[in-house]
Amino acid sequence: MIMRTIVLGVGNPILQDDGVGIHVINKLREQVKDTEVAIDIAYTGGMNLLDIIRGFDKVILVDAIKQEKSRPGEVICFPLKKSPALHSSNPHDVSLSEALLLATRLGETQLPSEIMVIGIVVKNTIEFGENLSKEVAAAVPTAVSYVLKELKNT
Amino acid sequence: MKTITIDPITRLEGHGKINIFLNEHGDVENAYLQIPELRGFEKFSEGRRAEDMPQITSRICGVCPVAHHIAAAKALDAAFHVEPPVAAMKLRELLYCGYIIYDHILHFYFLGGPDFVVGPEAPAAKRNILGVIEKAGLDVAKDVIKHRAYGQKVTAILGGKATHPVSGLPGGVSKGLNQDESKEIKDMVISCNRFAKFSLELFDDIVLKNKEYVNLIRSDSYTLKTYNMGLVDKNNKVNFYDGMIRVTDQDASEVEKFAVHEYTNHIAERVEEWSYMKFPYLKAVGWHGLTDGKKSGIYRVGPLGRLNAAEGMATPQAEKEYKRMYDTLGGKPVNSTLAFHWARLIELLYVTERAKELIEDPDITSTHIRNPVGTPGAGCGVVEAARGTLIHDYKLDKNGLIQKANLVVATTNNAGAITMSVRDAAKGVITKGNVNEGLLNKVEMAFRAYDPCFGCATHTLPGGMPLTVNIYDHKKNLTKTISQA
Repeated sequence: MIMRTIVLGVGNPILQDDGVGIHVINKLREQVKDTEVAIDIAYTGGMNLLDIIRGFDKVILVDAIKQEKSRPGEVICFPLKKSPALHSSNPHDVSLSEALLLATRLGETQLPSEIMVIGIVVKNTIEFGENLSKEVAAAVPTAVSYVLKELKNT
Repeated sequence: MKTITIDPITRLEGHGKINIFLNEHGDVENAYLQIPELRGFEKFSEGRRAEDMPQITSRICGVCPVAHHIAAAKALDAAFHVEPPVAAMKLRELLYCGYIIYDHILHFYFLGGPDFVVGPEAPAAKRNILGVIEKAGLDVAKDVIKHRAYGQKVTAILGGKATHPVSGLPGGVSKGLNQDESKEIKDMVISCNRFAKFSLELFDDIVLKNKEYVNLIRSDSYTLKTYNMGLVDKNNKVNFYDGMIRVTDQDASEVEKFAVHEYTNHIAERVEEWSYMKFPYLKAVGWHGLTDGKKSGIYRVGPLGRLNAAEGMATPQAEKEYKRMYDTLGGKPVNSTLAFHWARLIELLYVTERAKELIEDPDITSTHIRNPVGTPGAGCGVVEAARGTLIHDYKLDKNGLIQKANLVVATTNNAGAITMSVRDAAKGVITKGNVNEGLLNKVEMAFRAYDPCFGCATHTLPGGMPLTVNIYDHKKNLTKTISQA
């Protein structure tokens, strides 16, 4: 059976670095010709993300990260379940982790068995704008290569 | 300095902090909520094509894209001097009902409800939707998910796209409704109506039959006697899509009623150096600091603000529930902050009834859904976002490009009230410097009731920017910091 994979870029395209996930997806689309892989973007979090990834076996989530002690432009890969405090930083939605827990509790069977997060540490996310900061823009190719590597592992 | 780490912020992890200042007895002297606001939208908009604003503004917030989308479309109607055909207005309103359905369901069951359904003293790990399932049962949870999805589906069908609609244009909408879609929507809204009634029964059983909760709702710590504001129709009934902005006072009497383009005559914004937020207030009353009562121009918007600012609901089932709330809580206006949750459910019932009226209206499948635009000028649009009055104000140049844009968002309208509610809740639960997690949740409950939307445009994983509570002693020394793990 073919494993169904989706690469999903998450973020806000008009909030500078917050939209880095979208920038990564745009670059990735130029390089991935494999029609078996779904590539998509989402400007939303929590329950809405769940609706998008339902039915896939594996999810590669590309998103902006804010983390103390990390420098902007750093790219970090980790499985979603390894992150205890994973929030969509959005006051009116639940985190993807919580949405997944809920779906599992409700007996849903079409949930992905693996979710990898490729996070890019961001700098500017408080002022509206379409451009990335220098550090974060420089990290886009690295993030793309991480996604490609992750796709090879599937 | 002693640092305690708690995890109660799971349902409102803004980037903000609450600074609580104690007096020499260890009681709360003052408390300030500080939230960094997203900046620069006005500048970002300048020079853009006006007709792109419904799409651009719907990106401001991952939570209320529909509210911004429709407010923008309405501002463009005014700016291009065009009135949309009747069918287009009904289609927009129906789309809007779908948004309120999923937004209010999400808030009640996922964010605000756990405090009541699971209990305000329950451990943080239990005060979430999973705790609600444990208490209310799996079937209820399945219904929550189903009807939230129905709301989303209604907006997706009418908006042309899930979550971020694309149908709103100056002069109307780009997408009509066919018979099949109409049938599908009708079945969904009928089901949502049943679910709204069930939700009110659940609120009755779990909250109103619990004396302790009712006392909490009515307690001084959660009471604020501000003015109230909301959109009303020609009969002064609550309306989400259109109407006049009505303001009522502490005796529920109308003090102001104005069309949105006059908003700057009625509302001014106060800037306080300690806060990133601006604090709107009624110009006629004036700014007298963070205080309630008739002499203070601070007002509330959102579910309770809307119900207080109106004379009732325009649909029969919701009207009955409206009266019941006021009868139960001692007449109008209701000033109990926690009654926002009840008001939210009454509104949920209203939008399901209204959606049914709209989908059964023969106009709804009309193909005349757009009128040609006139010459570009200036215009304002207003809607009631789930969390309160939302105003878009644009000035266009002769080529139809944005020259100036100003947005007054719902949470900003509530900024003064939220700050006071946080302070009063802190006063009610912190005495003699005694602070623990259960107490802090009660402070959070004060602002959660407003369903606020602070800097909500980001989807940054994996958090790490929690809301922090700093407690200072009477010498302004930081004595305790409480934040999320």
